[in-house]
Amino acid sequence: MRASILRSPSPLPGFGLSFGIMMAILSIVVLLPIGALLGRGLMIGPADLWDMVNSRRIWSALSLSFRAALIASLFNLAFGLILAWVLVRYRFWGRKLVDAAVDLPFALPTAVAGIALTALYAPNGVFGQVLAPLGIKVAYTELGIWMALIFIGLPFVVRTVQPVIEELEREVEEVSATLGARRAYTLRRVVLPTLAPAALTGFALALARSVGEYGSVIFIAGNIPNLTEIAPLLIVIRLEEYNYDAAAAIGIAMLLISFAMLLAINLVQIWSRRRIGLV
Amino acid sequence: MSDITLIRAESVTTEPRLVRGVVIATVLALIAVLLFAPLIAVFAEALRQGWAASLEAFASADAQSAIRLTLIVAAIAVPLNAVFGIAAAWAITKFDFRGKAFLITLIDLPFSVSPVVAGLALVLLFGVNSSLGAWLVANDLKIVFAFPGIVLATMFVTFPFVARELIPVMIEQGRAEEEVALTLGASGWRVFFTVTLPNIRWALLYGVLLCNARAMGEFGAVAVISGKIRGETTTMPIMIEMFYNEYLSVAAFSLAALLALLALVTLTLKSALEWRHADLLAATRRH
Amino acid sequence: MHIEIDELAKEFGTERALHPVSLAIPSGALIALLGPSGSGKTTLLRVLGGLEFPTSGRVLFDGQDATGLSVQERRAGFVFQHYALFKHMTVFENVAYGLRARKRRERPTEAEIGRRVNRLLDLIQLPDIGARYPNQLSGGQRQRVALARALAIEPRMLLLDEPFGALDAKVRKELRQGLREIHDRTGLTTVFVTHDQAEAMEIADLVVVMSMGRIEQVGKPAEIRAKPASDFVRKFTEA
Repeated sequence: MRASILRSPSPLPGFGLSFGIMMAILSIVVLLPIGALLGRGLMIGPADLWDMVNSRRIWSALSLSFRAALIASLFNLAFGLILAWVLVRYRFWGRKLVDAAVDLPFALPTAVAGIALTALYAPNGVFGQVLAPLGIKVAYTELGIWMALIFIGLPFVVRTVQPVIEELEREVEEVSATLGARRAYTLRRVVLPTLAPAALTGFALALARSVGEYGSVIFIAGNIPNLTEIAPLLIVIRLEEYNYDAAAAIGIAMLLISFAMLLAINLVQIWSRRRIGLV
Repeated sequence: MSDITLIRAESVTTEPRLVRGVVIATVLALIAVLLFAPLIAVFAEALRQGWAASLEAFASADAQSAIRLTLIVAAIAVPLNAVFGIAAAWAITKFDFRGKAFLITLIDLPFSVSPVVAGLALVLLFGVNSSLGAWLVANDLKIVFAFPGIVLATMFVTFPFVARELIPVMIEQGRAEEEVALTLGASGWRVFFTVTLPNIRWALLYGVLLCNARAMGEFGAVAVISGKIRGETTTMPIMIEMFYNEYLSVAAFSLAALLALLALVTLTLKSALEWRHADLLAATRRH
Repeated sequence: MHIEIDELAKEFGTERALHPVSLAIPSGALIALLGPSGSGKTTLLRVLGGLEFPTSGRVLFDGQDATGLSVQERRAGFVFQHYALFKHMTVFENVAYGLRARKRRERPTEAEIGRRVNRLLDLIQLPDIGARYPNQLSGGQRQRVALARALAIEPRMLLLDEPFGALDAKVRKELRQGLREIHDRTGLTTVFVTHDQAEAMEIADLVVVMSMGRIEQVGKPAEIRAKPASDFVRKFTEA
């Protein structure tokens, strides 16, 4: 095995052992289950699979999951860029606290975030009470789903863009100024293009995470079929009905969306590495 | 400090004071609403009926078994993922083999798969109506709706954490120190324990920390595979959902507050690691 | 120890780093492998040390086939270009590493290890730095510590990859003589890689000029100066 997999032999030992452990755990935890899901799809057959996915309820759920994820991730793309810039370039009281707090959505369990957001935005909640007279309903509407997805996707763009800003060469901005560019022009034409690949990577990661998000959304969404019912919840409902084929059909649809986004992330990274040598 | 610096920046590489002030204020306001408010809400709701009511929530058998189960699951899933991460990082960074890039993509895959889909995939693999599941049942091995399934689901969703922290650090450190240890006569294990492990220990701790936080808080995947059998397969997040749906708000938020405290401890340790060992984690932060 | 290299070749994928090369290194000699980057000199050194495995050919130590020996079994004192000191260990622990890594039966007592490490630190003329960490040392000190660490295992030969490459010009000159002296005192067969012809000519007994994976010429410094075997050798060794 050693000779066939390794490109060249190495004096360091442990390839067989480490490769073996890696493949064993990877297979049991990830590859075999994913394979079982795809295998189930093959057994059902594409035609039946399509029939099962092709219902109004499922299409609304899938498009809701994707639409809300897209909206939340676009917000996080813009806010993340600004936040990363502020955290690296500006000095202000509480900067380190904010910097540490950005990772809160990574550390806080999604179910906890879900019930907390619901408590805030419910009609009798702290924010809900303020918004209700204005005619804005957040909890149990699509707006609530956006809020939940903004919360869980917030750190991604900040954390991919921040290190790139830290390594920006100030000389480039200075050159731009000496060439007569105004600050806004420099930011738009010099700084932003440099940050774009990292920002897109962060955006894609946030999108991938948001499309499949479950825990933080189901509490605030209200889960009304065709309106605020997300695709992962539909899987859970089908499973509770022991309708494994229907659950697998929706699961495969979501998996394909994940694969597409993973591919997109890789393409963005290849493109950016070619272009400016950054990962 | 004249009003000139208010509208014209003091350096060409920054923005005017006025712009900075407005941007900082906006950002702080948004952070307060989006991040701090939910966090405060957890504790406020938990203490809505006072400390006593909140602490009483932990006295229930349901809450205690949920806490115990969550701790045991993390105690198994996190070390297994650490072993995986170390093995993967060693194989990937110390050797050149075909298909390495594809392998890294596979390791990252769980980050882009919905936790619910992960749970579903595990149910389909190990559930009664698969051939493997039927065999398991015949041999009295329960995975779905049982403890092993919860561990597997937890491992799935936290799968890449340790490997992702270690791989960039080990790439940056290269192979020279390990090679020199070999020329000095050290065995493979000795090289690993005396040279490699000390070099990656902070990155490892960092990865384990993040892995643990996610493991204890996982909801979607566990919700699907655990079957939510009260007192048996209910982890803390599942128990929170049950309490919440039963309108036991204080109990739900009290358990949630415990998990939120864990999140705060995680963040504090993480920040401390970043400040104290910035150099050793530098490679990590760049990815 | 007498080293013989017999038709040794090394390929990385489709790239040939070493065409079959042969070379005899007499016992106790100080040899320079001289050439530009990509000439195969570092590959040859790493093959000798057991860090790379040849695609074909043999290596003989004192007439015995050593091609299949593991890196640990070769007992070659290897000094890396950037020294690869263990950053998390003190200088003392770095130098003692090879002794402590021995099997229990062959391992000296801690007291003996202490004596040997101190003797080596004396040899490199840095007797008082045992408690320091590598990042508290200057470049020249690091190089000498790496040398002491390699010598601690009582190596059968000394292999150095660009030992002066990471140093500034003044320190480099001093340490050249240092290497020559240590070689003369230990009598070890020593091979070092360099791209600097002045360095090779100044301290080596025998210079091996390499280019594009081939050996162009082997000879004493004076011979190579007087009678370069090819245009390449003449141009590369012009001062």
